[in-house]
Amino acid sequence: MRYLYIDTSSSYLYTAIVEDNKLLSEIREEFGQSLSEIALPKIVSMFKENNLLAKDINKIIVVNGPGSFTGIRIGVTIAKVYAWSLDIPITTITSLEAMAISSRNDKVHIPLINARRGFVFAAIYDENNKQIMKPQHIKLEALLDEAKKLPNYEFISNDTFEELEHISNYSPDYLKIISNFKDKEEINPHLINPDYLKLTEAEESKK
Amino acid sequence: MTEKKDIFILGIESSCDETSASIVKNGTEELATTISSQIDIHKDFGGVVPEIASRHHVKNITFILEECLEKAKMKMEDIDAIAITYGPGLIGSLLIGLEAAKTLSFLYNKLLIPVHHIAGHIYANSLVKELNFPLLAVVVSGGHTELIEMTDHFQFKKLGGTLDDAIGECYDKVARVMGLEYPGGPKLDKLALEGKITYKLPVPLKDDSYNFSFSGLKSAVINLVHNEEQRGNPLRNADLAASFQKVAVESITSKVRKAIKDKNIKNVILAGGVAANKILRASIQNLSDELNVQLSIPPMKYCTDNAAMIAAAGYYAYKNGRISNLNLNSKSQDTLN
Repeated sequence: MRYLYIDTSSSYLYTAIVEDNKLLSEIREEFGQSLSEIALPKIVSMFKENNLLAKDINKIIVVNGPGSFTGIRIGVTIAKVYAWSLDIPITTITSLEAMAISSRNDKVHIPLINARRGFVFAAIYDENNKQIMKPQHIKLEALLDEAKKLPNYEFISNDTFEELEHISNYSPDYLKIISNFKDKEEINPHLINPDYLKLTEAEESKK
Repeated sequence: MTEKKDIFILGIESSCDETSASIVKNGTEELATTISSQIDIHKDFGGVVPEIASRHHVKNITFILEECLEKAKMKMEDIDAIAITYGPGLIGSLLIGLEAAKTLSFLYNKLLIPVHHIAGHIYANSLVKELNFPLLAVVVSGGHTELIEMTDHFQFKKLGGTLDDAIGECYDKVARVMGLEYPGGPKLDKLALEGKITYKLPVPLKDDSYNFSFSGLKSAVINLVHNEEQRGNPLRNADLAASFQKVAVESITSKVRKAIKDKNIKNVILAGGVAANKILRASIQNLSDELNVQLSIPPMKYCTDNAAMIAAAGYYAYKNGRISNLNLNSKSQDTLN
């Protein structure tokens, strides 16, 4: 079984092709604003490296948020068009799950992403990656209050927060991510959509 | 080898609030077009909200593509090349179409053709009638007011354009002051037919250039409305609409007249959303008759954003060798050339 993993939910492109338990190709590189230009050519370069064709993928796993709204849409659009067009099974995971799964520490995992104005996108998972707090858009203070109730935890993020002294940096462990989610139920590609965890500002001010 | 092969272009457009796909044969024959419009969604906000538009594009994109292929009874394998609106437009919206087009280009090893949105509006006319050069394209929409001279396919020269607001933008803002619901431009056009020209408004930028200016006219209307309100005079909306239309259309027509004469134009094309405006259509029609030039006005369905025009333009771009690799990016602004 060959898996294509795509995560463009931050300024980084995280993508890999995994065959059974072997990593065939991977990319983990910061592109920022040029992600929209570079994401697809970089993904294609992994196929070329391995002499693979697009149809040689058996399942696509795409991160559908939370994170950069524009970023999420880039990866989700590529993945859903790919899966729809070639009829390839596809499923989604959250960026926060990927962050927690990739941790090497035997602690409670608190992945978080800066959502500005004092807010973060965050979730809490126990040592065995069982969800304690579901992914949400939450005030950083409120998240810290939740964390204080827990015994031994780590914050995981590639963003910096003045309020947090120690943060474990995130770098995806592609093999762990794939082995964890490879059997996750597939979704109709038409219905693959970002999960922003937040309304647009226009909608919020209308509420 | 002597037989000429038909060329099928898949066009994709997502530059604003319409997600659209279309398949066009040889740049002239529309086989199938699908459009998902978000007008009703943005109406509640008084205009297009970029983030909401982007969210809907990503939801719609595969449905739109599937329906288009089904309508045309074709498979991706039958397509020769993919034409995509790379800009100008809302960047978040453009990116959805772009990533979809790039992905399909990779999956099926098809050529990728970047198309400027305005080139699309101009080429909407080639779906109706063959273009005749030298040509003058009068591009009037919510984002553009431009006079473009074409000496041949994909040879664009901008003669002039608006120095401030686009005409469609001006229409929508004036309509808003008059209390008409978004998008107010078409409603204002309809209302004007019932009114008389009674209000005096300044004709903008009466000069020797090919340029336009609409912000002064917009301000004049806003001031007029406020002054009438303060004096307690009831506003005669239909008359105001008629008076405004006369001045706005006159401004366009006079510059078009000058361009036709200066550049020896054979074919005038009206393109863009405001090309649906009845009074503008009539005025340019009269001018074309008077100066004996061919006038092409696209049918209403091609005036708003659609992918058929992108596929049509894509065919001529393809013939001109305008091909891109997968590094193509969207641009919120870009000159037509």
